[in-house]
Amino acid sequence: MIKVRIPTPLRPMTGGKNEVEIAGNSVAEILENLGSAHPGIKERICDDQGEVRRFINIYVNEEDIRFLTGKETPLKDGDEMSIIPAIAGGN
Amino acid sequence: MLHIPSRIIQDMIAHARELAPHECCGILSGKTQQVAEIFRITNILANMSDQELSRFEGAKLSDLKQLSPEERADIAFQMDAREMAMAQREIRTKDQELLGFYHSHTASPARPSQTDITIAMEFESYRQKLALPQPLHLIISLENREKSDIRAYRIQDSQATEIPIQQISS
Repeated sequence: MIKVRIPTPLRPMTGGKNEVEIAGNSVAEILENLGSAHPGIKERICDDQGEVRRFINIYVNEEDIRFLTGKETPLKDGDEMSIIPAIAGGN
Repeated sequence: MLHIPSRIIQDMIAHARELAPHECCGILSGKTQQVAEIFRITNILANMSDQELSRFEGAKLSDLKQLSPEERADIAFQMDAREMAMAQREIRTKDQELLGFYHSHTASPARPSQTDITIAMEFESYRQKLALPQPLHLIISLENREKSDIRAYRIQDSQATEIPIQQISS
């Protein structure tokens, strides 16, 4: 199982949990299975083409998946995946 | 105290003025509270869908929904995540640290808004897990057209504490 960290704006979709355990062997599989376990959450992370939205970074352990092998990045038991919106703000 | 070369201060002000009335945003890196480099990051807010706006909360979300996409960037910013990740990688490659995030307030003072504090705290909860250093948050105010104002804050426990900026020659 992979520990997936859920960002604050998406926690209402995981019953308020900031971490969930999801089965899967790659980032893509985790996103798919996360979407099955928590309907609607995958659409908040990925666009209609299935690409990660422009304001979201996904990390496996402490590395951004862009510098690994993107959504194909393999995962093994004990790995942690973090979904993190880039910094924002307003006046 | 945060030490910033005058050329980088000028660059932040220029960035804010170039994008006004939209808010600009970017990253500062360096070592031991001495800024060495600036990374301008694209504010992608005007290109975000209504659904994506739910990344914001409360009053700010209501305000954003009432505006056209172009106008939304006047009252808020969202960094492009890819550019932010690329900057963070370059910072790491150069053996520097992420020292701060900056953005502009085009018509309000150089003080963190409630949205700034909420999102900074959100980032703070991720940061510790990712072993990143705690960044400061800098705001460039263009409220006074004659004289821009830049201030830096440490945001912790939902409180913003101003950190003095020392301009250094460069």
